[in-house]
Amino acid sequence: MGVKTVDDGAAFEHPLYRTLLSVPGLTVATTALDQVLTWGMSNALWVFPMATSCCGIEFMATAASRVDIDRMGTIVRATPRQADVMVVAGTITVKMASRVKKLWDQMPEPKWCIAMGSCAISGDFYRNLYSVVPGVDTFLPVDVYVPGCPPSPEALMHGFLRLQEKIRKSRKGETVTPETNSELLRVTRPSIPRMVDHERTPEMDRAQIESADIATEVEVTPAVHASLAPEPTELASNISGPDLPAVLTELGIAATGELGPPLVPARRHLEVASRLKSRGYRQLVSVVATHWVPGTARKGKVPDEPEHFEVSYLLRTVGAGSRVATWAVRLAPGEPVASLFQLFAGADWQEREQYDLVGVMFADHPDLRRLMMPENYDRHPLRRDLPANLPYAPWR
Amino acid sequence: MSDGLLHGVVYSVLIVSVVLTATAMALWFERKFAARMQTRLGPTIVGPIGLLQPVADLLKLLQKEDIVPDNADAAIFNLVPPLAALAALGAAAVVPFSPSVVASDLDVGVLYVLAIGAVTVLPIFGAGWSSNNKLALLGGMRAVAQSISYEVPLLLSAMVPVILSGSLRLGTIVQMQADHHWFVVWPFFIGLPAFGIFMLAMLAEANRIPFDIPEAESELVAGVTTEYTGMKFALFYMAEYVHTIVASAVGAALFLGGWDGPFFPGLHWMVLKTLLLFTAVYWVRWSLLRFRSDQLMGLCWKWLVPMGVLLVGAAATWVVVFP
Repeated sequence: MGVKTVDDGAAFEHPLYRTLLSVPGLTVATTALDQVLTWGMSNALWVFPMATSCCGIEFMATAASRVDIDRMGTIVRATPRQADVMVVAGTITVKMASRVKKLWDQMPEPKWCIAMGSCAISGDFYRNLYSVVPGVDTFLPVDVYVPGCPPSPEALMHGFLRLQEKIRKSRKGETVTPETNSELLRVTRPSIPRMVDHERTPEMDRAQIESADIATEVEVTPAVHASLAPEPTELASNISGPDLPAVLTELGIAATGELGPPLVPARRHLEVASRLKSRGYRQLVSVVATHWVPGTARKGKVPDEPEHFEVSYLLRTVGAGSRVATWAVRLAPGEPVASLFQLFAGADWQEREQYDLVGVMFADHPDLRRLMMPENYDRHPLRRDLPANLPYAPWR
Repeated sequence: MSDGLLHGVVYSVLIVSVVLTATAMALWFERKFAARMQTRLGPTIVGPIGLLQPVADLLKLLQKEDIVPDNADAAIFNLVPPLAALAALGAAAVVPFSPSVVASDLDVGVLYVLAIGAVTVLPIFGAGWSSNNKLALLGGMRAVAQSISYEVPLLLSAMVPVILSGSLRLGTIVQMQADHHWFVVWPFFIGLPAFGIFMLAMLAEANRIPFDIPEAESELVAGVTTEYTGMKFALFYMAEYVHTIVASAVGAALFLGGWDGPFFPGLHWMVLKTLLLFTAVYWVRWSLLRFRSDQLMGLCWKWLVPMGVLLVGAAATWVVVFP
């Protein structure tokens, strides 16, 4: 279609511009040059793979033998400075998003972006999760969307071919029309037969479905809930051995809590941990905080108990014949619990995580900052009162 | 005088153009070679059997934005890429492609090649330092440590043909082999190990796998070139390939009898031998894993250097006993 006419170039009002356009043959030469440059640009797309999940594996398959994107001159560069295309392959979390944006900004112009897979396109079934960006086009200018979960290597290859087409057409001022569904179906149909179990009959399928134990909707009242839940096993008390009860007796603590770990008063909790450590429990396996609000059903809990937090701890001895000890602390909203950091260095990140996600305060923790969520996040996402579909700037 | 100058200019232009074209083709060749080793096809779409792929890459790199990071030392950052290419190309000046095709057959040709080869470490370190990027700096630091260490076995192994032929002039060394035997053939117990050490040290000098810890992708992103975009990166990339080609050519001249061979003109043999060594480099590159830093130094100082010293002594004895 050639170079644009003089009228289209009205934005360039440099005096030389019109003079140059009047030189005979110059437009032909520049058009030819532009075509050569476009040919080079579209045939050497170096990729910066922003691979965070399973789509990354399919991306690797695309670079490997069967599909081999190197055929069209596409190689993978480890640094964004030398890349032309960023392939976002996988779920991008809110915290990751700022890093992705930074890497994108480090890529030299001209650059393109391919959103590979449902998560990169829309967030897919993680879309309403508190930590996930609902589609990278909320902060990146995506050129090509490659649908699939994950897309097949053939589909990604097709995405690259469409990107080449887009580069060629946009340099000429043309636009690319999105594909219709039938075109997509034609392209992404697998070119090799899938593995099929020829022995299997439709009757076998039906029989399997009928015999499956399919859960039905039940209105959960406390009574129903108690009947549905499995009987509590004796496992916890068996493997924990006599140490925890002995420690509690030593300290004169009467533990409460009928089921699950014994409840220890928050102000005595550090003493319990310290005594257990001196008895050989040297590893803090986990710190788990749970938020309870009226209405949350659980076996052994009255559904309309007032709002509270329960932080449970799990310690184990190191070496053969390992024993575990587990206890819990019940906290009112806003009430802090003593940090175990002085006893177990491993409590550092575990307590930070619980602070970040549930909002339990750990007194005397040396570095109580957020661990998972962005530093400027203003909520605790695993609290039960977190609204679904939370509007969260700037991604939503 | 003016004849000599004309000769120098004409052959310089000729050899630089040929080496640069060969570099472009080497890029294509390596991608095809690597692809075949991984049961892929490599470039097939751009031009016939992908032959125009390096051209497309170059055209693209020409059009990319030229980024100089804010905190980089701009003067050095911009200066070192052409310097790297220059140092790599400079070594090609004394390579004798045939008795007549050589830009300048210096009396101290071997010394010149090794000196220019050693200069390439300066731009690499400059790039690492001026980028103001921790990955680039670490890469530059590793490159310097590695290049300086491997300089020693490289020099020692290059001394062997020098002693055997009694000359530092590459033309004379090749002529000596053409008149008698190639040094890898006789005395093979000196020439063959020296050739092996030369190739290993050369791989390390050119920062190729298995000695590519300065640009180990998994830990240093892209080493010294991490911050370089477009043509500046292309110059570094090119310098690496030119360095490999020239070092292959020097290896062929020092040990494999250079232009010597039956039936065909000398130029053909020299190109063939260079290509064979070049292919061997890529064969190694796409077959082996990367050395760890301490293994790298251990190999150099515990094995290659003592062996090199022994070989130099053996070569001197050989020359004295069988003059």
